[in-house]
Amino acid sequence: MGSAEAIRTENLAKTFPGGVEAVRDVSLAVQEGEIYGFLGPNGAGKTTTVSMLTTLVRPTRGRAMVAGLDVVQSPREVRQEIGLVFQDSTADGELTGRENMELAGGLFGMNRSECRPRIEELLTRMDLVDAADRRVKGYSGGMKRRLELAVAMVHTPKILFLDEPTIGLDPQGRAGFWRYISQLRREQKVTIFMTTHYLDEVENLCDRIAIIDHGDIIATGTSDSLKERVGGDVVELRVPATSPDLTTTLGAVPGVREVSRDGAVYQVRCPRAEGIVSPLVRACDAQGVTIEGVTVQRPSLDRVFLALTGKAYREEGYDDGRAAQASAFGGRARRGR
Amino acid sequence: MFLPLRSLLKREYLRWVRAPTWIVAGLLSPILYLLLFGQAFDLGKLVPPVPAAQTGLTAALLGAPNYFSYFAVGMVGLVAVTSALFAGTGVIFDKQLGILQRTIATPVRRSTIFLSSLIFRGLLVVLPIFIVLGLALGFAQIPGLAGLTVTQTIGATGIVEVLVAIFVLAIAFTSLFLAFGFLFARVESYFAVVNLLNLPILFTSNALYPYGTSPQWIQNITAYNPISLAVDVMRENFFGSTYYAHPAYVYLGGLVVWAAALGVMALLLASRALRTK
Repeated sequence: MGSAEAIRTENLAKTFPGGVEAVRDVSLAVQEGEIYGFLGPNGAGKTTTVSMLTTLVRPTRGRAMVAGLDVVQSPREVRQEIGLVFQDSTADGELTGRENMELAGGLFGMNRSECRPRIEELLTRMDLVDAADRRVKGYSGGMKRRLELAVAMVHTPKILFLDEPTIGLDPQGRAGFWRYISQLRREQKVTIFMTTHYLDEVENLCDRIAIIDHGDIIATGTSDSLKERVGGDVVELRVPATSPDLTTTLGAVPGVREVSRDGAVYQVRCPRAEGIVSPLVRACDAQGVTIEGVTVQRPSLDRVFLALTGKAYREEGYDDGRAAQASAFGGRARRGR
Repeated sequence: MFLPLRSLLKREYLRWVRAPTWIVAGLLSPILYLLLFGQAFDLGKLVPPVPAAQTGLTAALLGAPNYFSYFAVGMVGLVAVTSALFAGTGVIFDKQLGILQRTIATPVRRSTIFLSSLIFRGLLVVLPIFIVLGLALGFAQIPGLAGLTVTQTIGATGIVEVLVAIFVLAIAFTSLFLAFGFLFARVESYFAVVNLLNLPILFTSNALYPYGTSPQWIQNITAYNPISLAVDVMRENFFGSTYYAHPAYVYLGGLVVWAAALGVMALLLASRALRTK
């Protein structure tokens, strides 16, 4: 109690009736005030984990403490401390934005005079003042999402859970939504636990990230620490097909960690690409080879995911061909599914 | 508990007032029944105007002075069922839209969620019942229209019995149909079952026609049908106890047992639907 941990789970698992192991073993700790990203492909167990943390699904094994309270023993107390934004809009379309927020306040036991100033404040923050008295069924997708956020925040929760909050929004709407989240985090003291399968979203926003796959956490850390695991930047050089082998030449350039060749394309790994591109080009010139193209790849969580699971991370989940390939290389077979 | 309950009721109310079709159609259909079916379909006309036959008719109508008076009271039962039919639809839509999910993720008690539906949907059943009774009594004052003629002086006890019968009947059927709302995930399944039950409930009651001519086994069912019990309470108070084996409170007691049983069943199904998986 009173610790600086907003969420703590120990070996949390959920097997649904029928034997589907949605979550196998999730142990994590989220500090107060953090934005914690829970990342994984569709069907990895993200929503089930959130449902357990928000008392909507009962764990089969393990323990989860939210705001210092056990989710199984004190579900009502946990619910009082948390706010939720679901994948789909859950506001009542026949009610206005303001009425939806008043309803939420009432459900948390707030009376009119407690609700009013809070609702005005949130409407302003979310840029919904003009739309506040219109029925929600006429709102745009982005407005609906912002309203969900406002509804979830009415009772000033300690922890905000966002389950795939930007699904179905266009890139502009997504970017906008994350701006509101950053703002919310700056102005309100709230811990945010969010799931997403968009890698770029967690990269800049989240203090820490956990990657879940097939119900298990396979990595946790900051975005940077996860990227370090895959060995920094990659400089890709394309040379004429007739060129002699350059592997040794490139490997001798100071700062280069590893060189691999795929036909006329060389991949040069190095901690940082800055300052290394021109030495590489000069080294090739010295061999009489003219470089046809240079690209620099920053480490991405996509590559982290590939490195950890042997499978490419795809926004729509795995496609079958990739999964079969991964399996052939032992990626999936190792799991013994 | 009060603030959450009030908020949930307010939401139901706002949804209702913003759907004019729902209001108008809901209130209009019982009125049409009274105007068309009630005025046109007079069983009394089938009986020859000789004293012996007329005595038999009064006995068949359990003391009601004419068929419309008999029918108008029965309309209370019919309206109770047809208005309560939709009670469970709101729950199903809330399930599908995720609104129920959002509600159970708040500290609101499960019983409060159930209670808010029961209260609001129950009121939507009671409202047309009072409109029907008021109109039927009004018709009696208009020359040329058949109306509900009360032949007895109703005391305070009688009024209380009639009012309680109406409210308890509303609770019984609202509970029954709400229970299906919590049970089923799809509106199609809901209406399949509701339609299946609808007619047997109505036609094993004495709401619309005297059941003296039906076979004994149907009569046995009819006697315990909640609609019959409610209608008996009202008819005995309106038209006298000559044709009744028991005083009105006995029938009222039976009706309360029905409402309690259906209420408990609905509450159990609701808590099952709302519990943590």
